[in-house]
Amino acid sequence: MTPLLSLRHVSKTFGSGPRAVRAVRDVSFDVSRGECLAVVGESGSGKTTLANMILGVFGQSSGEIRFDGRALPSRRTLEHRSAIQLVQQNPLSSLNPKRSVGASIRLGLDVFGIGRRSDRWRLVENALEEVGLPGDFRRRAPAALSGGQCQRVAIARALACQPRLVILDEPTSALDVLVQARVLRLLDGLRRTKGLSYVFITHDLSVVRNVADRVAVFRSGELVECAETGAIFENPRADYTRRLIGAVPVITDHELKLRESLSGGLPA
Amino acid sequence: MSAVLEIRDLHLRFRGHSGVSEVLHGVSLDIRAGERVALVGESGSGKSVTARIVLGLLQELPYAEVSGGLFLEGADLNRLSRRQWQGLRGTSISMIFQDPTSSLNPVFTIGAQFAEVLRRRDPGLPRGAADERAGALLRSVSIHDHARVLDAYPFQLSGGMNQRVVIAMALANHPSLLIADEPGTALDVTVQAQTLKLMHDLVERSGTAVLFISHNLGVVREFADRVFVIYRGRIVERGPTAAIFEAPGHAYTRALMAAVPRITGGGPPEPNDGETAFLDPMVVHEGGGA
Ligand SMILES: Nc1ncnc2c1ncn2[C@@H]1O[C@H](COP(=O)(O)OP(=O)(O)O)[C@@H](O)[C@H]1O
Ligand SMILES: Nc1ncnc2c1ncn2[C@@H]1O[C@H](COP(=O)(O)OP(=O)(O)O)[C@@H](O)[C@H]1O
Ligand SMILES: [Mg+2]
Ligand SMILES: [Mg+2]
Repeated sequence: MTPLLSLRHVSKTFGSGPRAVRAVRDVSFDVSRGECLAVVGESGSGKTTLANMILGVFGQSSGEIRFDGRALPSRRTLEHRSAIQLVQQNPLSSLNPKRSVGASIRLGLDVFGIGRRSDRWRLVENALEEVGLPGDFRRRAPAALSGGQCQRVAIARALACQPRLVILDEPTSALDVLVQARVLRLLDGLRRTKGLSYVFITHDLSVVRNVADRVAVFRSGELVECAETGAIFENPRADYTRRLIGAVPVITDHELKLRESLSGGLPA
Repeated sequence: MSAVLEIRDLHLRFRGHSGVSEVLHGVSLDIRAGERVALVGESGSGKSVTARIVLGLLQELPYAEVSGGLFLEGADLNRLSRRQWQGLRGTSISMIFQDPTSSLNPVFTIGAQFAEVLRRRDPGLPRGAADERAGALLRSVSIHDHARVLDAYPFQLSGGMNQRVVIAMALANHPSLLIADEPGTALDVTVQAQTLKLMHDLVERSGTAVLFISHNLGVVREFADRVFVIYRGRIVERGPTAAIFEAPGHAYTRALMAAVPRITGGGPPEPNDGETAFLDPMVVHEGGGA
């Protein structure tokens, strides 16, 4: 079966001449149906640039991005725009503060023509309930929500568009650990029940270990290693991956042993 | 031997338009000589306000009501005048904040900022002598091209380099107490790990007592000798780091730990609910100098 998403030799350069920034360099990978691919790397490694190209915010400088077997055009159709959705790190800034939560979610339904007009508020309420919020949350203003509730709303908004692929750009990095745990479980459950695919962008390897099927490690715009999650954590090939694992703060002796055995000998 | 820092039954209330909000409900905490003590909890639990009270900063706000005992090396801080308290900052008590680059002054070179820091202890210090001492301090944080760094502005250096600079500056005047509030949280994980290790080694060598504030249990486990867990303005558990991590006793501490994803795997963490128990009485682990 063809992968849902496929990148071949994708590069992105911002600007030109001596000041050019090669943000993504000759990157190839696939995401299969129902799969969660984690994209990890430190700041500036090109993760968000990659997300923007997949979403069609801007085009790649070279290479090809295929979705469901066909090359994605630089001008996306409505169908593509609804099929690939984004959830960002900062939940509050990703919602329009002047709109109610429900209006933000409904916007996608109106733009993409999802459901009958008369049915759409019900769909909005369903989406909220799917992320564990009461339907009448739709009347709330974003400012009246906690960080975790905001992120649930952002997830509901993405899901309401009936996507096949969701790009999660540091979805839990701004959340407290108890809230993060609940949002991670929610995302994991939704992917399984809805058969979604995720591109899960994060710098947190302990999150990756527990949510991803495969991991793509980025450094300075380059893909240094891409493998199944188990392989990355049991037998990382790249020194850089070992260094990343070596820097993860851990809370149990069991983890400490694993970390030392993987990063042993390398400077932190 | 008396504690370097002792906080006794600290209360804090803010008066606002919509009435009074109670932020600290009787926090007690002590740090002994050479000890690294962590205050760990979620955002909004009262970690930074506790630090700002020790620095005498919140007491300057007209709408903040602070009460409780504060002692630095046995001296009662509440008896100090505002000027005397200000005089402690950067000398007896120094601090490191989350984002190193924004905690440095963007319009002065690193060398000029070092000179200003050193002159807090040593008012007439000439620039040449200040640069010499700054150079030695930079070497202690493994910066070897110190001449270039002293001439640079913060924006010309990487975040990790600025973090080292900030650590060196914080220790420049041999403070009795270093307060580090979420140090390096704004940095990449590899850089954060490096600079924390560096800071750990440095305070260990100099015997500086540290109040280490963090929301990250893993970082706390690696850095601290003793831990105070704070939940909504109350210490819910305290004890030596090993004891807390091996046998967390309070429902809130246990919930926090259960929520941390493990690099050994096991799936997304399952946070145990039961928030009512988060208000249970404090759990104390003896030992570790406590
Ligand atoms: N619009 C842009 N114009 C110029 N440079 C950019 C732009 N967006 C990103 N970059 C640069 O591309 C590199 C990768 O950035 P980004 O994709 O945001 O990294 P990450 O999300 O991994 O932190 C960085 O060097 C960044 O400064
Ligand atoms: N200057 C202030 N005025 C009013 N409320 C404040 C002020 N500073 C902090 N608070 C409130 O006090 C509580 C504790 O804040 P803080 O100590 O910053 O939390 P954290 O544990 O995240 O460092 C929060 O609810 C915060 O909103
Ligand atoms: Mg990014
Ligand atoms: Mg704080």
